[in-house]
Amino acid sequence: MIGTTVQTGFTREAFDAFVDSRREPPWLVAQRREAWQAFERLPLPNGGMEEWRRTDIRMFRFSRFGLPSPPTAGTASPAALLAEDVELAGRTATLDSHPLYGELGSKWAERGVLFGSLDDLAIEREDVVRPNLFTRAVDPLADKFSALHAACWSGGTLLYVPRGVVIDEPLHMLSGLSPDGADLGHTLVVLEEGAEATLLAETASLDPAASGLHAGAIEILMAPRARLRYVNLQNWGTGVWHFAHQKALVDRDGSLQWTIGALGSRLAKVNQHVALVGEGAEAQVNGVMFTEGKQHLSYHTLQHHAVPHCRSDLLYKGALQDRSQLVWRGMIHVDRDALKTDAYQRDDNLILSDTARVDSIPGLEILADDVRCSHGATAGRVDDEQVFYACSRGLTRKEAIRMIVAGFFQQVFDRITIPSVRDALGDAIRRRVREYT
Amino acid sequence: MAEFVPVSKVSELPDPGKMVVEVEDRLVALFHVSGTFWAIDDVCTHDGGPLADGTLTDHIIACPRHGAKFDIRTGKVLTMPATRDTVAHEVKVEGDDVLVKLNEE
Repeated sequence: MIGTTVQTGFTREAFDAFVDSRREPPWLVAQRREAWQAFERLPLPNGGMEEWRRTDIRMFRFSRFGLPSPPTAGTASPAALLAEDVELAGRTATLDSHPLYGELGSKWAERGVLFGSLDDLAIEREDVVRPNLFTRAVDPLADKFSALHAACWSGGTLLYVPRGVVIDEPLHMLSGLSPDGADLGHTLVVLEEGAEATLLAETASLDPAASGLHAGAIEILMAPRARLRYVNLQNWGTGVWHFAHQKALVDRDGSLQWTIGALGSRLAKVNQHVALVGEGAEAQVNGVMFTEGKQHLSYHTLQHHAVPHCRSDLLYKGALQDRSQLVWRGMIHVDRDALKTDAYQRDDNLILSDTARVDSIPGLEILADDVRCSHGATAGRVDDEQVFYACSRGLTRKEAIRMIVAGFFQQVFDRITIPSVRDALGDAIRRRVREYT
Repeated sequence: MAEFVPVSKVSELPDPGKMVVEVEDRLVALFHVSGTFWAIDDVCTHDGGPLADGTLTDHIIACPRHGAKFDIRTGKVLTMPATRDTVAHEVKVEGDDVLVKLNEE
């Protein structure tokens, strides 16, 4: 049985009832109410705004969704791809923004690690959550979706790793959606000085074609010398609207490897922002996208160098078939004082059909005068000569194209150091590639 | 298979006039010119912008972003920067109802 979501819409009455039902501390209630006022005030983004001019959301209606209601008891979560055959330090799952389960190995809990429902931990551990929730990373007022999220988030996950604790097994979190459901989950990751962790996050729908809404945010706050490998696989069904603001702050000598997989959703609009705020910080950002049907995925990345001697390296790779569309707008922003910055961004796209479309737009804003910054963007079709050669060696056309697509993604797979992630993404893409004449 | 679905009343759209309607999860630009209704995808094939916000002159709509022009009767592209036709849909009038049937290509 799949739980039904009662569509009350995002109304003031529904919001008030939601806040009253949660018994949260005054600081959190005040934060929610301020965000709700912004949600009511801010316009729905439209094509007249530069960031939205390639992403048409005129068919989106808030009235078709509502605040998440609890799933029917006993509803199972969708299948997870990233956790197969992986020894985990802990795992959480939600369905329609409601926690299903949360587990953390006792040896980590004893060392002060927190991993579980943000709903509960925001109340129990105000000392950890309050200084970090919507304070330094994601701006609740960025747009109407971030305001809605900040007002109505629920079912989120907190990962907190105390100073010097190194978690050597991955943690896994799964967010599920039932048909016409809404997910407003918030992910908050706080690593204290010298802490290390690997977090695998993924989303999935119970019905691969059903409608749904995700208005979410991810905040990653890393103290000096912290190291994080973070994988975020967006694998909603193809009826889901996905709006997300994601930001990481990396402090002195910290290291972040952030891998994004984007396979699902009807339309996705994501802002992914990495800020290097302590000298010697480095960030590697990897993106793997595959779109088909009429999917439209729009990713807006920002590598912000605020201080000297930091490195950032972004590599996105996308393949498109059918009538799907990919948009990538990337920016490297270097502040005036961020000397000796080393920053790179690259976005490659493989277009598998005549009717797919990609907009790949790199950008640089450099205010410092002693930096190394470069970027590149490519979009092209599968090379007919490569297909001919492979066919002449005995492969069918479909095998040849699959091999070429696999080779195209290999460069980014080589950077992903977690085998289960590499395998899951590789398999998912292999299954999707169809034959084109 | 797509079917004719009512999208507007004849009396709701002046002649000449244009409006955007939703047909089965798709945005369609509906035009009323010289007593006849026409419908094309509300998408400029140049950069995906909405067409119906543009200027209508006889049977030609100009994209408000970069000026690409399309024939509203056929979806045919007439000027750069667009190079591909947009999709034209079938329209019929029954009484006071305007109905549109989507054409996939």
